[in-house]
Amino acid sequence: MRPSFLLRKEFGNLAVIRGTVKYHLSPLEQRAFAGAISQGVPNIFWRFRQSFFYVVPPMLLSYLVYYTAEMEHDRLQRKQPGQFDHEK
Amino acid sequence: MYKASRFSPLASVIRHTVITLPTPVNISTWWNFGSLLGVCLATQIFSGLVLSLHFTAHTDLSFYVVIQSFGDVYYNWWFRALHANGASFFFIGLYLHIARGMYYSSYVFKEVWSVGVVILLLVMASAFLGYVLPWGQMSFWGATVITSLFSALPIIGSDVVIWLWGGFSVDNATLTRFFGIHFLLPFTVAGLAGLHLFFLHDQGSSNPLGVSSDFNKVVFHHYYVLKDLVGVCFFVGPLLGLVYFYPWLLGDPENFIEGNPLVTPHHIQPEWYFLFAYAILRAVPNKLGGVVALAAAVLILFYMPFSPKTSIKGLSFYPWGKVLFFSLIGVFILLTWAGSKPVEEPYVVVSQVLSFLYFFYFLLIGPLTRIQDKLL
Repeated sequence: MRPSFLLRKEFGNLAVIRGTVKYHLSPLEQRAFAGAISQGVPNIFWRFRQSFFYVVPPMLLSYLVYYTAEMEHDRLQRKQPGQFDHEK
Repeated sequence: MYKASRFSPLASVIRHTVITLPTPVNISTWWNFGSLLGVCLATQIFSGLVLSLHFTAHTDLSFYVVIQSFGDVYYNWWFRALHANGASFFFIGLYLHIARGMYYSSYVFKEVWSVGVVILLLVMASAFLGYVLPWGQMSFWGATVITSLFSALPIIGSDVVIWLWGGFSVDNATLTRFFGIHFLLPFTVAGLAGLHLFFLHDQGSSNPLGVSSDFNKVVFHHYYVLKDLVGVCFFVGPLLGLVYFYPWLLGDPENFIEGNPLVTPHHIQPEWYFLFAYAILRAVPNKLGGVVALAAAVLILFYMPFSPKTSIKGLSFYPWGKVLFFSLIGVFILLTWAGSKPVEEPYVVVSQVLSFLYFFYFLLIGPLTRIQDKLL
């Protein structure tokens, strides 16, 4: 008895594929970590380079905003030249 | 197990959820946060249950009971540190999970997304209520500030606040009801998490490419059981590092002082995970306006499923969309920083500009991606 909520996408009911032949090896016939270091480590640097100019400029801008705001706050906490001239 | 699952409905549900579930081959580490949040919820429920065995929700007692239980109750210091820091990690996971959803347009799964936003709201409520329970200065004054916001509601505001407090100020009645609701909410969240998964498994997880993966799936077990376990190790490692070595790094020193209605702390501020919303609240010079902005900062997530659809799901292939997204991340981090600052210049103007930019992202992202779709 299959409750209706189970009649969702599952193996055998995923997609209709026509004209495509797939070949694959069983996981048990492969080395589990093939290329993990030799290809995986260069891939880290490749992925970093690909995303560098999308991530770094906004983060740099954010840091500049933070730095400028903190400097300005420190400046405003100090006596300004001429602030108390009217009391002389 | 295999044979049993053919006959037992419960085993069948488990098999379809975590064993034979068809999962895309190419989902990345950003897809680990769902299971991590489940681990966080279980950790918080378990550690909270243990803490509740030795907790008394009374204004005269709770502060001292919490401190005394550190030394007297076996490993209670560990459970408290785990529960307090677990809440922070819960929100780290939540924000990264939502960021993944916004980047990869997971919100096209309308039901999953909507239930997820409800979960976020309930977890935020639960965290706020839980912070009040130790009855330190920040517990008391944080509760006073946030519950007082409801007085901004027109006509019924002041009555709503008195009803919420159970009296004319935050006092014992408030603490006892906060404990009760804080105990109850996580179980509601657990039920909603089940609903969240139920709606997700109707169509299956999306993937970083944003295309259909129905022709290229693998079984969840062992691949993603192991990948999720690796994620748990990387997540729990820093959590335990905080618990054992820096348990109060994310806390406020004011909460080591017993809550005193006659002494207001210089800098009332919530925990770090609420600071972005706190900055947006304080940016609006009008009380009701600030409350509306605070609510909108979270409720705007409900709008995402109705934002203009793009030709390609996700922002992976929209360069300007990516720049805008990471700008939003920068704005969020800056809002968190601004929320911790006193109400002085230039922090006031900076908070106002950042609050505008936060909401502006949601207005701009749709048109920006549609322009690229039309050009190409």
